[in-house]
Amino acid sequence: MTSPDGPAPAWPAFRHALVLLGLAGVAAFVSNTTASPQRRVAWKGAYPDALRVPARPASAPSQAGSSEASGPSAPAPTAERAFPPHPDRPAADISGDDARLLHARGLPFLDARRSKVFAEGHVAGARSFPVWEADIDARVKALFDEGLDQSAPLVVYCSGGDCEDSHMLAQRLYMIGFDNVLVYTGGFPDWTAAGGAIEKGLPR
Amino acid sequence: MRAAVARWFDNAWLTLAVEVALGAIFVVAAIPKIADPPAFAHMIYNYRMLPGAAVNGLALWLPWVELLTGAALIAGVWRRASAAIVAALLVLFIAAIAFNLGRGHAVDCGCFDVRSVGKSREALLRDMWWVLARDVGMLLMAAISLAASFREPRRRWPLARMRKLPAPASPGTA
Repeated sequence: MTSPDGPAPAWPAFRHALVLLGLAGVAAFVSNTTASPQRRVAWKGAYPDALRVPARPASAPSQAGSSEASGPSAPAPTAERAFPPHPDRPAADISGDDARLLHARGLPFLDARRSKVFAEGHVAGARSFPVWEADIDARVKALFDEGLDQSAPLVVYCSGGDCEDSHMLAQRLYMIGFDNVLVYTGGFPDWTAAGGAIEKGLPR
Repeated sequence: MRAAVARWFDNAWLTLAVEVALGAIFVVAAIPKIADPPAFAHMIYNYRMLPGAAVNGLALWLPWVELLTGAALIAGVWRRASAAIVAALLVLFIAAIAFNLGRGHAVDCGCFDVRSVGKSREALLRDMWWVLARDVGMLLMAAISLAASFREPRRRWPLARMRKLPAPASPGTA
């Protein structure tokens, strides 16, 4: 079954492979350039700790609304509960009760999930900061330009469980000087399970 | 015996079926990734095997490589190149899954669906073994195609020889 002139030379196949890989690059460039911001990503990713494997959760997910996330010594949430800034680390985890308290105080909530998911339902009054979408830098910059008090609590959340998007957003905010970012680890599932107020609609 | 097996694998129908099926799998796998690069970037990030700066570039480029090589494999053009790229990708996928299985890091494979479905760690690890088995099967398909492409850089269409046969002589003229 070998062709009469022996095995085919390797060079054309190598050239074809390079052309295929190159065409894929061109197609990817065109596709990404013409995509909407919700479908676009920056060519160079900015993910610190991309090689670090996250620590495994110790046990099965805790019951919704428990205050385990803030550690065993966390004080019971009361109206006087204070949330001091923590300039030594990007984020502090808070429980569902803390999140509800902060929501009642009218502090800003930032939703780190995809904008499409945000539109399907989010914490009432929350603002959309989809960390995986291309316009996240612009959104973070716009937040910075509002000149908020950088040591006032800022609550970020995503979809709970092992979702890390809120920590990623916290890292970005920490880099530009926000040193009181609180991560609501229970996230949106915990919020809805506890009957928190939600809103639907497109990102603002 | 060996010759019989070799002849079976050399079957033009088999090669055609394998290439079309494998190509179709790659095309189908590429479409959701091209449709939603941020979600695929998230999947790649979850593997924890690439520096952060490389995650997005791969998420943008890899699906197009899958789409183009899949289409080339179906059409039978640039056979050796497309079969070789597909085989190389499968080796990479197998290595990535096996590496994470080895260190007990559960990942959503992100092969055909880039939405995270929030499975438990145990379910993900179990799925990873299936993905591994599936990828090894696909690698075998790629090997059949690659071997065929070394015999014939251009696809030998089944029945092609039949078409080339001279028209049967009408009875009586022989």
